[in-house]
Amino acid sequence: MLEMLPHWLTDWLGPDGMASLAYITNGKHLSWYASVRYTLIAAGFGAILAVFFGLLGAAAKLSKFAPLRWIGDIYTTMVRGIPDVLFLLFFPLAFEQGVEYVMAQWYCKPEELATATGWPLCSNAQWYLSTTEYMVLACFSLGIVYGAFAANVIYGALKAVPKGQLEAAHAFGFPSRDVFWRFQVRQMWVYALPGLSNVWLLLLKATSLLSLLQITDIVSWADRLGAPNYSPLAGLVHGDWRWKYYLVLFVFYILLTWLSEKFFAYLQARAGRGMARAN
Amino acid sequence: MDSILNAPFVQDLVTLFKPALFNLYFLVLAVPFGFPLAVLLALGKNSKNKLLSIPARTYVYAFRGSPLFIQFFMFYSISLALNPGVWKPLGISWLMIHPLFIGPLVLVLNTGAYAAEIFYGALQTVPKGEIEAARAVGMSKWQEFRTAVWPNMLRLAWPAYTNEVVFLFHSTTLVYFTMPVINEQKDLLNKAGELFEKDYNLFLHFSAAALYFLVISIIIFFLFNLVYKRLTRHLNVDVSLKIKPNYIR
Repeated sequence: MLEMLPHWLTDWLGPDGMASLAYITNGKHLSWYASVRYTLIAAGFGAILAVFFGLLGAAAKLSKFAPLRWIGDIYTTMVRGIPDVLFLLFFPLAFEQGVEYVMAQWYCKPEELATATGWPLCSNAQWYLSTTEYMVLACFSLGIVYGAFAANVIYGALKAVPKGQLEAAHAFGFPSRDVFWRFQVRQMWVYALPGLSNVWLLLLKATSLLSLLQITDIVSWADRLGAPNYSPLAGLVHGDWRWKYYLVLFVFYILLTWLSEKFFAYLQARAGRGMARAN
Repeated sequence: MDSILNAPFVQDLVTLFKPALFNLYFLVLAVPFGFPLAVLLALGKNSKNKLLSIPARTYVYAFRGSPLFIQFFMFYSISLALNPGVWKPLGISWLMIHPLFIGPLVLVLNTGAYAAEIFYGALQTVPKGEIEAARAVGMSKWQEFRTAVWPNMLRLAWPAYTNEVVFLFHSTTLVYFTMPVINEQKDLLNKAGELFEKDYNLFLHFSAAALYFLVISIIIFFLFNLVYKRLTRHLNVDVSLKIKPNYIR
């Protein structure tokens, strides 16, 4: 691959530069760069689910039916008192155990169920999760945790929609459901955007925790690539280079944050067209 | 009585008491050092002097823009890399690569940035009239800061700072996900994970750990609310803190 580079570039880099370039484009490093997809997929789908759960939570908090209101309040209060890491570990494990419990009812023999002590209840009821399944579970846990944050934001934004707009919609004869979905939710986004932008930044940073769910993401690759190597057979001999790789990740996340801020500033400007502004 | 004490949940609470102290240890070390760092950074960011404001801005942006998880890994691996060349000859390698030292250190650096942003926001909303009044009566720069800026800044920032401290407590869980556990120095999630691996009783162990987090968070809110009551005692209104999850990492 590197032979395809133009001459002026190879001359400029020199033999040492070319060796470094060859090193950072070897198979392991390419796998590292490719593993960025897990981070981006988890952030993207996590965000979509977070908005979804946020809308549900906010709707529950605004509900006229008290028990639904309580559920909404418990959901949004939960994340304030308990660390997000605990939820990120808990949801996938709980889901896995739930599935294994149902599998046990189907596949295990009654005598196995009666004598079972550990988990899973019998060997047939073992669910081996692959990276894909862990990714789906990770997206859902991110969505559930940050959905609670989004619910608070959306709840505030729904209340910020001018009452007159809703009264006008009612006066035109729109049923309550339409007033909520077609007027309140439609106009809420402008007020919710700054808050949702914050939630997105939090979620983006939480994607660094994917390695806790057995996913070989950028963080676990950085750990593997940077680990000291003393055997020439295994490639370049080097000491503990982990700090270099983590420094790259540090800068990578700052860049992602910067890009997100630019994008949300653009969205905010677009969504705010025609809105009265104080300054 | 005996049956209550032998209930698995109570047993878990007893087992998790010592691990909870490790989470508290990280918090109790990080807050007193993080607070002055944050105030200095906020003043630096607010300064008209570019030599002060640009480094402060960069620092705050970098630490707020990257995950704490990565920051732990980064500082720990930097310290490990410096170990043979620097710490060992100085004879302080027992300290410099110990999670009980690096953990609070990174938490201080991190909370410094987050709290600095809060204090910076508060500095900008300090009532102009009070500063003008301080100048009008001929106060020195320091007197102006002491009497007009500082009390207002603290009062305005306190609710957000309380949330920051609670989330700082929550992020103490990350210390032992990034650094090795030495001897039996396990924190809440380590211990809960260890208990889980013994009998796979997920709901029992994790809810016991969650209860500890919940209760300590509520205690932090209670204590900070007392301070807030004192900071706002001249305002003659009944104020109390509201838990708002705006700041987390």
